[in-house]
Amino acid sequence: MADGPTMDFCKIVPPSLSAFVDTFVDFTVSALSLAGLIDPSTLRWSGGPTVAVQVGDVLDRGGDEIRLLYLLHRLRLEAAASGGALITMIGNHEVMNVHGDFDCAGPSGLEEFKNWGFWYQIGLSMKTKCEGLQNPKDPFNGVPKSFPGVRKEFHEALRARAAALRPDGPISKRFLSQNPTVVIVGDSVFVHGGLLQDHVKYGLDRMNREVREWISGGSDGGGGRSPGFVRGREGVVWLRRFSDGVCDCANLEAVLGMIPGAKRMVMGHTIQRAGINGACEDRAVRIDVGLSKGCGDGLAEVLEILDGGSVVQVISSDRAVHRRRYSDRTVEREEGLKVLFPH
Amino acid sequence: MGQTQSSVPEEDRMDPTPPAAPSPQDLPSMEDLIAEATAYGEDENESIDARAQKALECPCIAELRNGPCGNQFSEAFVCFLKSTAEEKGSDCVNPFVALQMCIKANPNAFSKDILEGEGSGEEEEEREAKDYTISAPSWSRKPKSKL
Repeated sequence: MADGPTMDFCKIVPPSLSAFVDTFVDFTVSALSLAGLIDPSTLRWSGGPTVAVQVGDVLDRGGDEIRLLYLLHRLRLEAAASGGALITMIGNHEVMNVHGDFDCAGPSGLEEFKNWGFWYQIGLSMKTKCEGLQNPKDPFNGVPKSFPGVRKEFHEALRARAAALRPDGPISKRFLSQNPTVVIVGDSVFVHGGLLQDHVKYGLDRMNREVREWISGGSDGGGGRSPGFVRGREGVVWLRRFSDGVCDCANLEAVLGMIPGAKRMVMGHTIQRAGINGACEDRAVRIDVGLSKGCGDGLAEVLEILDGGSVVQVISSDRAVHRRRYSDRTVEREEGLKVLFPH
Repeated sequence: MGQTQSSVPEEDRMDPTPPAAPSPQDLPSMEDLIAEATAYGEDENESIDARAQKALECPCIAELRNGPCGNQFSEAFVCFLKSTAEEKGSDCVNPFVALQMCIKANPNAFSKDILEGEGSGEEEEEREAKDYTISAPSWSRKPKSKL
């Protein structure tokens, strides 16, 4: 309660690493609806002063990436106008795409950006026809026109995706450049992969600032590399030490001990086949439920933190499962929709 | 507003063109232009309809008013100027969609020379391209020849 009114009621929207990629917008809508954060009939924010955190990986999820970025952007504005907040974070897939690493993009994802490129270029052309308006910056400049080894029919789409998402690109700058990499809300620390002690020593604010500068194009106009702490297995958006297999509880405890007031680290990145769960006495909360068959069965789950962190609960759309694990406890599910875990 | 709701975010449906990045500070932006056009028609004593109509007459957008999609552009432009929706222009889905349809049917309505006119920037393009590499998805690659 000491955290102030907006911090007492936090709902955390889990990320989705989905095999049903083409339904990702629908999944996001269901997760947000499930949590009572949007009205599904209007797609407008209905969460009032709730603080919601989406822990990254909006990209590489099929052919609705730009639509989803728009939706989240609008909801961010609406949440802020309602006294709440929707915080969208940087995940490893955002880092990959800003880097030009499109290994995980699907055909429909390329197609959507190809269409974007078509309309963006028409927009540029129209602007050149406005008397007195200097030629606008063309984000396609500097992007290769051909891609050796790649089938020609995909060159245009790859070029458009690169123009849109490169540092200082129209899409990356507008929708990703202000997203944080690490967020603290109340007594919860949110990060896509995980934090190590060296990251905390480096500085959480500093990491957020440096990622934002990189995506915004930096001082050199976009030629710079990403900060080292978002690269590699120990990178903050890649780390699995607290979310995969046996959690390194001692290390986690030490990391949280360095962050005043932090009781838990909430992470995505590693699909949790059992659904949202906690480890290390719920100091590690793993919320990536995935969407593929057998990996959450395509059902949305949302972690909800109430009363300043004294109550943590999972809201699930799964009405069929009666037992599931959260933390190291097996909990009987009675109502089907909400499972309460008073701490 | 009478728009049919669908799962498509309204913002997506209303945008005639993709989002433009904030323009560098040293360049006049599209917002500047709209402000200029609006100022052209500014007269507090006139109705919003009359002011929007007058803004449309600004010489700064003369080229956009003409051509095969000039009418659609004009309708969308005036609608945007007159819009009092919280998200300005969000009640102009239909005229913007009509503009899009027209451009699709007439690809050269507005685009002609800009993309072909990159010649002066080629040197910069080459330089920047060296710093930016793209990794394509495996499914988009040509099959390796079997020897």
